[in-house]
Amino acid sequence: MNGIQKVDTRALQTNRFSKLLSSIGIYAIAALFIVLGVVLQSMGIINNFLTTQNMMNIVDAVALLGIVAVGMAFITYSGHYADLSAPTTIALTGIVSVELLRFGFIPAIMGAVVVGLIIGIINGIVIGKFKANPIIWTLAMSYVSMGVIRFVWVNKQIYPDVITDDPFPVMLFDNIYRFRFFNAISLPLIIMLVLVVVGQFILKRTAFGAQLKLTGSAKRTAKFSGINVELMIALAFIISAFTTTIAGLAITSLSRVGAYYNGAGYDFRAVTAIVIGGMTLAGGRGSIIGVLGGTLVIGLMNNIMTLLGVGTFSQDIIRGAIFILVVGINAKTLRSMGRDDA
Amino acid sequence: MMRKNKLDKSKLLALGDRFRIYILFGVIFIFMSLFAPRFFNSYNLTTILRTVSMNATIALGFTIVMICGEMDLSIGRTATFAAVIALTLQKKFGYGISVPIAVLAGAGVGLLNGILVAKIKINSFIVTIGTMTILQGATYTITGGNSVSLSGDKVFAISDFLAKPLLPMLPPRVLLTILFVVVFHLFVSNSQWGRNFYMVGGNRTTAWLAGINTDRITITAFILSSTMAAVAGILFAMESSAATLNMGDNSLMYVVSATIIGGTAMSGGKGGILRSVVAVLSLEMLYTGTILFGFGNEVKIFISGLILALVVLYEAYASYKHEKTIGQRAVLLEELAQAKEKI
Repeated sequence: MNGIQKVDTRALQTNRFSKLLSSIGIYAIAALFIVLGVVLQSMGIINNFLTTQNMMNIVDAVALLGIVAVGMAFITYSGHYADLSAPTTIALTGIVSVELLRFGFIPAIMGAVVVGLIIGIINGIVIGKFKANPIIWTLAMSYVSMGVIRFVWVNKQIYPDVITDDPFPVMLFDNIYRFRFFNAISLPLIIMLVLVVVGQFILKRTAFGAQLKLTGSAKRTAKFSGINVELMIALAFIISAFTTTIAGLAITSLSRVGAYYNGAGYDFRAVTAIVIGGMTLAGGRGSIIGVLGGTLVIGLMNNIMTLLGVGTFSQDIIRGAIFILVVGINAKTLRSMGRDDA
Repeated sequence: MMRKNKLDKSKLLALGDRFRIYILFGVIFIFMSLFAPRFFNSYNLTTILRTVSMNATIALGFTIVMICGEMDLSIGRTATFAAVIALTLQKKFGYGISVPIAVLAGAGVGLLNGILVAKIKINSFIVTIGTMTILQGATYTITGGNSVSLSGDKVFAISDFLAKPLLPMLPPRVLLTILFVVVFHLFVSNSQWGRNFYMVGGNRTTAWLAGINTDRITITAFILSSTMAAVAGILFAMESSAATLNMGDNSLMYVVSATIIGGTAMSGGKGGILRSVVAVLSLEMLYTGTILFGFGNEVKIFISGLILALVVLYEAYASYKHEKTIGQRAVLLEELAQAKEKI
C-alpha cells in the first residue's frame, strides 16, 4: 500500500480491562469497595463499616498480608508464580522465635531471620539453579517445614510467657504487632509501607529490578545478554522468604502462640493480591504499588464479606473464583493482543 | 573389548532405571518383612492394601494428567469434596443417588480444570491451586466446618462389606481398586486414547500437527483425574461411614511423590499407570514400617515431606544434567574423557 508497510498495531494497543487492572486502576476498585461498604452501611445491611476500629482492623490485616505479598511479588515478577511455602515459613519462623525467646529478644529475631533465609536460599538454589518447578518445589518445601515443626515440637503450641520467666523479652515480642505510634499507626503498617517503597524502588529504579524484569519476561534473552539469571531468581526467592519471616514474627506476636497452623492461607491470599494488583503470572509486568492496591482490595473485600456475615470458608470460594477469573481474563486479553500468555 | 563392557554396563543401568520402581518395591518389601516387627502377617498386609486403595485410585487419573505434561494439585481436595457430598446427600436420598451425584461433581471439577487449562490456556499449576481453594471453601460450607458421619444398619452393612476380606487379604474395596488399576493400565498402554496422552505430553505441537485434538485429550485427562479422586474419596468415606474435612489433604503429597518416583516425568510424555501404583504401594509400606518401628505420626509426616522434596529435587537435577549435555554426543564425550586420561 503506497510502499508503506502496514504494521500490526494490536500489540501497541492497551486493552481497557488490563488498563483498569494496571497499577493505578486497582485503587479505583479499592475506592469502589469503600463506596460499596458505605452504601451497604447506609442501607442498614451492615453495621460498623465506617468506624475507626473497623478501618484500623482493615489496615492491620492489609499490613500483614502486604508484607508477604510485597516479597512474593518479586517471585511473580521473575516469572515463577508464587511461593507456596509461605504459610509454613510463617509458622516455622514464628515457632523458632518463640522458642529462642528464652535467650532474649534479639536472639529470637535473629533465629527467625536465619531460618527464613535458609528456606529462601534452599528455594532459590533448587528453583534458580536446577530449574525445579516453583509451585511443586515450594509445596514440597512447605511439607518439609511442616515436617520439621511436627518432628521437633510434635503438636505442641508454645507460648512466649511460658518459655521464659523474664517479662522483658515477652513484652518486646508482644509489641511487634501491638506497638502503635501515636496510638494509631502500627509497627507492621510502617514495615509494610517501608517495604512497598523500597520494593517499588528496587523493581523500577535499580539494575537488579531491570534484570529481574528481563528474567521474568524473557529468560533466554536475559541469559544470553549476560544476566546471571540463576542468581536473579534465587534472590527473588530469598527476598520473599525474608519478608515472609517478618510477617511470621508479626503474626506470631499477634496470636501470642507459636504453632504449626499459624499463617495458613497466606500463600493463596498473597498470590491473589499480587494478581489482581496487576502483576501477571507470566512475569515481568506490574509494580509493587499495584500489589499494595491488590492487597487493599483483598482486605476491603474480606472485611465487607465478614460484615455481611459470609463465612470464612465461603469467602475462600469467592476468592478462588476471583483469582481464576482475573488470571483467565489476563491470559485471554494478553493473548488476543498478541502478547504472551500467563 | 573394553568398549563392549562399557556398553553392557550402560545397558544394565538403563534397564535398572526402567525397573527401578519394581526393584525399590522389592527392596522395601523384603527389608520391612525381615526387620519391621509385625509387618509380614496377613492382618498387616490387608491393612496396607486397604489404606493404599485410596491413594492408588487417585494416582490412576493423576498419572494420566502428568503424562499429558500437566499438573493437578486439586486431587486431595476433590476426594474430600466428593466424599462429603456423597455422605451428606446419603442422609436424604441414600447411596444409590448420592454416589453418582458425587462422582459427577468430581467429574465437573475436572471439566472445569480441563477447560481452564486447555481452552483459556492458564498454567495448570495455577488453575488447580485456584480450584483447590474453591473446593476447600465448598467442602467447609457444605458441612458447616464439621466432619460428616453416618449411622444406621444399612450404612454399616456396606462399610463392613467393603472392609471384610472376601478372598484372603482382599476385601471388596481392594478388589475394586485392582479392577480400576487393570482397566486404567489397559486403557493407557493399549488404546489409541492412551497413546494420545503420551503424544500430547511428549510434544503438544507435534501431536496437534499429527491430527490429535490436543484440547480434548487434555480435558479428558483432567476429568479422569478428578473423577478417580472423587471415586477414591467416596469409597474411603463409604468404608468408614465418615468423612473428615482433611481426609484428602495428605493424598496430594503422597500421590505426587509416588507418581514421580514411579518414573512419570513432570515434563510429560513418560510414565505408566502400573509404575505409579507400585510406587504408592512402596511408599505405604515404608510409612507403615516407620510406624511399626515405633516412630510417631510426626516422623511419618516429616519423612513423607522429605521424600517429596528429594524426589522433586532428583527430577529437577536429572533434567538439569540432561539439559547440560543436550546436543553433545555421548561418544564424543567419551573420547574426550579418554583423551584427557592420556594427557
